[in-house]
Amino acid sequence: MSFILRRISTTKTGKQIIRDQALPGDTITLGREGSNIIHVADLAVNPHHATISSADGRTVRVAANEGLGFDLNGRSETIVDIDSGAGGELRFGGHRLTIAREGDNIILLVERIDELSQSSKDVDEAKAFSLQGVMPGKRMGAWVFGVLMLLAFLIGPIWAWYSYKNVNERPDGYHADSAWLSGPLSSAHASLKNDCQSCHVEPFVAVTDKACVGCHTGEHKAMSMAHANAPTAMLLAARHPPGVGERILKGFADTFNRPQGRCVECHTEHEGSGPMPATLQKFCADCHDGMSARLKTAGHPTTLADAADFGKSHPEFRPLVRSAPGAKPVRTTLAKGTVDYNGLKFPHDMHLQATGGVARMAASFRGRYDFGKKLECANCHRVEADGVRVKPVEMERDCAMCHSLAFETVGGVTRTLRHGEPDQVVADLTAYYRSTPPARPLQLGGMQRRRPGAYAEGQVYNIYFNEVAARPSRAQDAVRAVFSKGGACYDCHTIFAPTAGNNWRVAAVDQTPRYLQKGWFDHDAHKETDCADCHTAAPASKASSDLLVPGLRQCRDCHVGEGGARVVKVETATESPCAMCHEYHSDGGKPWMPPRRAKKNTAAITNKPLAASYGVSMITGTGGRGLYDVTWRTPPLHGARRGG
Amino acid sequence: MASLFQRRRSKATQTERVRERRHEGFLRYAGFRWAKISGALCLLIIVSYALVDVTPRHNGGSWYGYTLGTIGAALILWLTALGYRKRKMTSDAWSLKAWTSAHVYLGLSLIIIGTWHTGFQLGWNVHTLAWALMMLVILSGLYGVIAYATLPAALSNNRDEMTQMQMLEAIRAFDRQLHSAAQPLTPADTAPVLAALDEDPFAGGIAARLSGRYPDCATAAALRALAVSNGSDREAREKVVGLLKQKEAALTRLRRHLRIRALLEIWLYVHVPLTFALIAALSAHIISVFFYW
Repeated sequence: MSFILRRISTTKTGKQIIRDQALPGDTITLGREGSNIIHVADLAVNPHHATISSADGRTVRVAANEGLGFDLNGRSETIVDIDSGAGGELRFGGHRLTIAREGDNIILLVERIDELSQSSKDVDEAKAFSLQGVMPGKRMGAWVFGVLMLLAFLIGPIWAWYSYKNVNERPDGYHADSAWLSGPLSSAHASLKNDCQSCHVEPFVAVTDKACVGCHTGEHKAMSMAHANAPTAMLLAARHPPGVGERILKGFADTFNRPQGRCVECHTEHEGSGPMPATLQKFCADCHDGMSARLKTAGHPTTLADAADFGKSHPEFRPLVRSAPGAKPVRTTLAKGTVDYNGLKFPHDMHLQATGGVARMAASFRGRYDFGKKLECANCHRVEADGVRVKPVEMERDCAMCHSLAFETVGGVTRTLRHGEPDQVVADLTAYYRSTPPARPLQLGGMQRRRPGAYAEGQVYNIYFNEVAARPSRAQDAVRAVFSKGGACYDCHTIFAPTAGNNWRVAAVDQTPRYLQKGWFDHDAHKETDCADCHTAAPASKASSDLLVPGLRQCRDCHVGEGGARVVKVETATESPCAMCHEYHSDGGKPWMPPRRAKKNTAAITNKPLAASYGVSMITGTGGRGLYDVTWRTPPLHGARRGG
Repeated sequence: MASLFQRRRSKATQTERVRERRHEGFLRYAGFRWAKISGALCLLIIVSYALVDVTPRHNGGSWYGYTLGTIGAALILWLTALGYRKRKMTSDAWSLKAWTSAHVYLGLSLIIIGTWHTGFQLGWNVHTLAWALMMLVILSGLYGVIAYATLPAALSNNRDEMTQMQMLEAIRAFDRQLHSAAQPLTPADTAPVLAALDEDPFAGGIAARLSGRYPDCATAAALRALAVSNGSDREAREKVVGLLKQKEAALTRLRRHLRIRALLEIWLYVHVPLTFALIAALSAHIISVFFYW
């Protein structure tokens, strides 16, 4: 038996050259040092790494010398016995030692199997020198990111919509389509944040009015009323001719099935949290500027006048007036000489004079009533509890301080004629004259002797008995006097003399509680202004049929258009959008105003508001959801305004 | 007539020559034609945005918003098409250089188009996500333009007229010399040398590539170990130390090369995948608008 060292070298052409070399001795040393029988130039091999021997010529023992072992079939060993017939492969550092048997000889094949160094390995230049080796591929990244995006932001939201398709209200929690929320909802709708489907009912169908009126039942009715139940076609025809922008928008709308004239076109949502923004003048002017001509062309003629800006382009007011006594109230354009018959006679000029009988009488009542040196408007005209309008004048409260109906004093109590009931007045007067005979003179009493001369004209008898005899007809006279010129009724009322079957009659008094039906005027907001500043005609008005409602001209002394437009010189301008006086959803209440614009009266906040100071919406009713419930507070009225 | 065409052609040739001489890159292509076009576009948008009165306020849903959004989406798709276009080289009026120039400048104008499309209403939603992705893509592209303008010079300086395979070959040569020079060393001394040989010059993750810092470098460690060792034959050891120093220098050059290349390439790993993420988010954005119309 002998050990044979076999070396295989490869030529450049790939041809293998095998060289065998018989090794001397039975014990072969293997190591890095040159003195070894098998010299392996491998830094990973120890200088004297192992000893290879065979006792019987078949079994080969390999033993490591210096602690560092070798690998056999992947396991680290320090001593192994190998049947050379079966063969074996051992690994020393980067070299492989293969043991085999050929005839009597044991063949030891030593080859370098590892590269000399890591850098000696073949590299793919394009990959190794670029980032391809250390980064995940771009294509891979593109797919992963793209799919993730589609899953999270397209499939997820659609799934969320699908799973609550027929559900009335979504449960709380996260819904994937909230990622589609394009902006915060206004505070009124904040609770719908998670429930996209409450408005966006059908996919690819623009939000319909149906979704709005599902909750806003009242507003929908009110809106129709405000626009005279105008059909959508008419509302659309009213709009101003589209500009470039609107044409583009219309193009988008037509292409992508987005009908026009829906609630949401004005009531845009997802515009940021907070309360509804103030209504801009443009909202109204977009249609109402030059609207009548457009509507006429479109076949929807209207009597509405055009309005675009309060400062420059606004029709004169059309207050509700009775143009003749007893006529029905009709909205009439305010002009010089417009009359309004309310059935009363009242010369404002006489009552407001600084001198004269009325002023003197008022001055004499100072201390008893809240009168000054002369009468003021507020002495007779009282304001409603909410401060908005002026109460109709009431005789007992507002006139009777001076215009007393007293006719007798009984035991210190003054008896007055019954106001408002002419028949009672007649009856009361008749009864008064019947039940109270003239006082009997002392001369006619007792046992005093009566002398004939006393019957003569001008003497006691004559006076007394004449008086007694004439008593009943005096009642007739008194009644006639009270209803005739110079009498208590006639001074203020229009009287109809008795005709067949009728007694004395007084013309009905109709005081219009609200002249401007379409606009809102709040006296309380103007309490710092003198009445006569606006009601300019009042101090000179000689008849109550003079309509004293201020015109546009008076308003424009302070109020200018939203953008400050004006036609007259204004000292302190109040910029007034349409919504300051007009309400789109006119429900009879005060026009809505954003809280920060509404003047806050601190005194009012500390006082519990009167029950009547809550605006009760005519349409929505108080039991509604409070969506548009408007609360405005009334400051406690000044003593004078409350009636002294 | 003939002379007219003659003159025109000669003028064109002249222009071409000037371009050649000045190496007109995609940035200054045709006298910054696309920079001017996209600059004018941005200016137009900024001015018209201020002049156009949109109620109640600017956002993506106004007519102006729709217009900008449509332009923006179309532009994004066209910009993405560069990836396809660059694989098909031509040299006519729409040469790749022209296309790239337009890609860069129109891409930058997308900052204005996209942002002004939002009406500056941003939030935590898919719409803003699409915007943010678009901005990331644009910013990575901007980085890419800057990198392409500045880094090739550094790359060239570092290369010292060697190809990258020559750099690797130098290391291999030092490895071979190290291997034979280290043969006489003691096992204790060979271990660090072996580790240095075993070190992959391309090892290290993306952080190492970008920073160029390799704190666990085995070659440097071997140098440190052999400097303090006194086990082996001194002469052999000094020879190995000398070789290790040379290998370290070669390794440093290679690593610097890798770093500059990484800086040149890294933006594409953001730019391209995020572009597709953007297209996906943009689709979700557009579909969502119509879905909840």
